[in-house]
Amino acid sequence: MKSATIGFAAAAVIVVAMVPSIACAQAPKKEPPVINPPPTAQDWADLAELPDWSGVWNPKITDQDAQVKTNPPPWNEAAARKVAQMFAEEKAGRPTLIFANCLPEAHPSWMLVTHNAMEILFTPGRVTMLGESDGNRLRRIYTDGRGHPQNSDPTFHGHSIGHWEGDTLVVDTVDILPEAPLAVSEAVGLPNNGDMHVIERIHLADKDILHDDLEIIAPHILTKPWKTTRIFFRQRARKFDIFEGVCATGDLVERVNADGDHVFVPVQKSEWGNTTAVPAK
Amino acid sequence: MRQVLKSIGAFIAFAFVAGGISQSAAHHSASMFDFAKKQTIRGKVVEMRWVNPHVTITINASASSGEAPVEWLMETTSPGNLTRVGGWRRDVIKPGDEIEVTFHPLREADKKSGLLREMKLLSTGEVFPANIRDQEKPGLE
Repeated sequence: MKSATIGFAAAAVIVVAMVPSIACAQAPKKEPPVINPPPTAQDWADLAELPDWSGVWNPKITDQDAQVKTNPPPWNEAAARKVAQMFAEEKAGRPTLIFANCLPEAHPSWMLVTHNAMEILFTPGRVTMLGESDGNRLRRIYTDGRGHPQNSDPTFHGHSIGHWEGDTLVVDTVDILPEAPLAVSEAVGLPNNGDMHVIERIHLADKDILHDDLEIIAPHILTKPWKTTRIFFRQRARKFDIFEGVCATGDLVERVNADGDHVFVPVQKSEWGNTTAVPAK
Repeated sequence: MRQVLKSIGAFIAFAFVAGGISQSAAHHSASMFDFAKKQTIRGKVVEMRWVNPHVTITINASASSGEAPVEWLMETTSPGNLTRVGGWRRDVIKPGDEIEVTFHPLREADKKSGLLREMKLLSTGEVFPANIRDQEKPGLE
């Protein structure tokens, strides 16, 4: 009797002792949260050592045009066929609307084919690029030493980490949405279809000229990495400050309705994106 | 070839459907306009939409004398670009102003629309260029 009771008690102790580990084996281990440290006064002072990228940067569109012929991407066979068809359609006056719905041009196509200005902001641990024509041109480049996240969470501009090598910002971007186009013009470009990786070296080439040296790796549409430099020139005159621009207003016109309220009303567009009619006042 | 056209068609169709009523606002190529042709007409401003990504100007104009004026639609680049390449402002013209516009007409010539190259305000004679490939230099004032 006694031994049975002891045996039972022992078993009970063992079970009770095991409960915490059973519970742990079932519940996921909680990672301690990563907290971004607040910037120190030194962090702010360090920004003054960076090169001056202030002002408004305009893209050199004539160079974009030239590179369509002089430096085409190394498209794979299937991609090359589609691209050839898009060039033909554009030439025939039926340009494909690859940037529809006011979605971002995304990375790297924003750098490759934008016709609009941008500005570059430095804050501790970060370089932020803001494009004209609303918040759908926004790149956050983390320079606080972090790596790319373990879990994939693709976005239009990808996850970018950067570090300074002298006065050159070296940026590594992954996790770009597979729908984001790799474009060589506003009418010619293909979805990257995933696994795109972009490496950049961004630096001043002259006092007021910025170069973005891009290396674009897109294994589903290119046969090998594509290198291209995109050129931006700087304005400082206040009248060229970037002004708010909301892409969707391209589809709308301001009217006053029967109640005297100021409202937005749709305009008519063609399938290629040009406005075809504006409703009367 | 059919497969390529099908996939491009599907791509366009998706953009069309996803855009809902708008086919839709976007940065688009200008190849629907005929760059081999240049036309100039004079008329009265109906309305300018000072919007991204493309500013538009509707004017009442006669393409040739004797013709009754009809509405023409000019399309051009963004407000930011126009400010840089042509000294435009939001209030550069107002409804009723007499202007002369030079443009590349739409390939569908009967559609009465064009890609604006420059605009002249007739009351002052001031010319406002609209070519985004102009002024490609830093430090403009």
